[in-house]
Amino acid sequence: MTQSVETAMERFVRYRATGDPEVRDELVVEHLGLARALARRYSGRGEALDDLQQVATVGLLKAVERFDPDRGLSFTTFAVPTITGELKRHFRDKTWSTRVPRALQELALRLTDSVRELSQELGRSPSIAEIAERLEISEEMVLEAMEVSRSYTASSLDAPVDEESGTSRMDRVLGGDDAGYEAIDQQMTVDYLLSTLSERDRTIVTLRFFENLTQSEIAARVGISQMHVSRLLARALESLHGVIAES
Amino acid sequence: MTQTEPGTGEIRLEIPAAPEYLRLARLAVADVGARAGWSYEDIDDLRIAVDELCYAIGAGAEHGRLTLCYQVTEQAIEVRGSGTDTTPLAAPGELARAIIAAVVDEFDLEVDERRFRFVKRA
Repeated sequence: MTQSVETAMERFVRYRATGDPEVRDELVVEHLGLARALARRYSGRGEALDDLQQVATVGLLKAVERFDPDRGLSFTTFAVPTITGELKRHFRDKTWSTRVPRALQELALRLTDSVRELSQELGRSPSIAEIAERLEISEEMVLEAMEVSRSYTASSLDAPVDEESGTSRMDRVLGGDDAGYEAIDQQMTVDYLLSTLSERDRTIVTLRFFENLTQSEIAARVGISQMHVSRLLARALESLHGVIAES
Repeated sequence: MTQTEPGTGEIRLEIPAAPEYLRLARLAVADVGARAGWSYEDIDDLRIAVDELCYAIGAGAEHGRLTLCYQVTEQAIEVRGSGTDTTPLAAPGELARAIIAAVVDEFDLEVDERRFRFVKRA
């Protein structure tokens, strides 16, 4: 643990104890670089960088407000998903519904169902031609719908990851190395990256990429549909990109 | 922007290296996979590989251009990518490499050269 991280942690403890807005401001300023880096990650998607930095700063403020140093997480581990979630919500609210035609959004939902049905019927992943035939659309439309159903905006970091307990991903982010974001550049490890995912996403990513199971095999093992696995993987990868880009 | 070179079946795509254009790179590889009759899941793998490798050579930046070449060979799809004036956001770590290795059969990534190549077999 570096000296600067220790200092920041002590400051968080002080802020929790006193609620002193001056301490809060110091903490926000200290981590503005993180918010800016994450905002940059989402630039070039039709939104001005200034606006995104504001959105990211709001996320940072929320993270500073909610961060509990006693839980043993590093602030960065906690803040990255919070800020990314704020940015994603911004995109979802501002852009998705207007940019993706409604018909295509609906088609993406039908695609989900048909892939699940066909996978069950055939006992394997269907071809694009088979999906097109089932949906009575062109293969080109199937590919378009795949794009939409994997759209980064379709996922929400704040969506409950555990339907039973209703806890969100943010609540369930686990601690990794207690490194400041300045140090992640050099120190980011697989464990750290995986630790930024929810437990379920982490399981699925591990099964897929470290145990080399297919999506269908994971679906069978975890007890969810292959399409669901596909979506969770897409979402997990998107989230990891955010963490990697921030470094 | 996209052209098929007669005789070779190779598809070449040149796009700005901004994230929103990656969609075209994924759509193109998905189309190549669909034409070859590959499954939804294998096509998803192709898309992940294109996504990860393009990021690795600088697709997340706001400047520069990416060129992708897609080629269907016997029982395999090969994709080559290169970046011009791109700035990778971060060097791909162990995880990114593990992800790519899991979804394709072979790949080379030269971040300094802004170049990659992968092969996935049917």
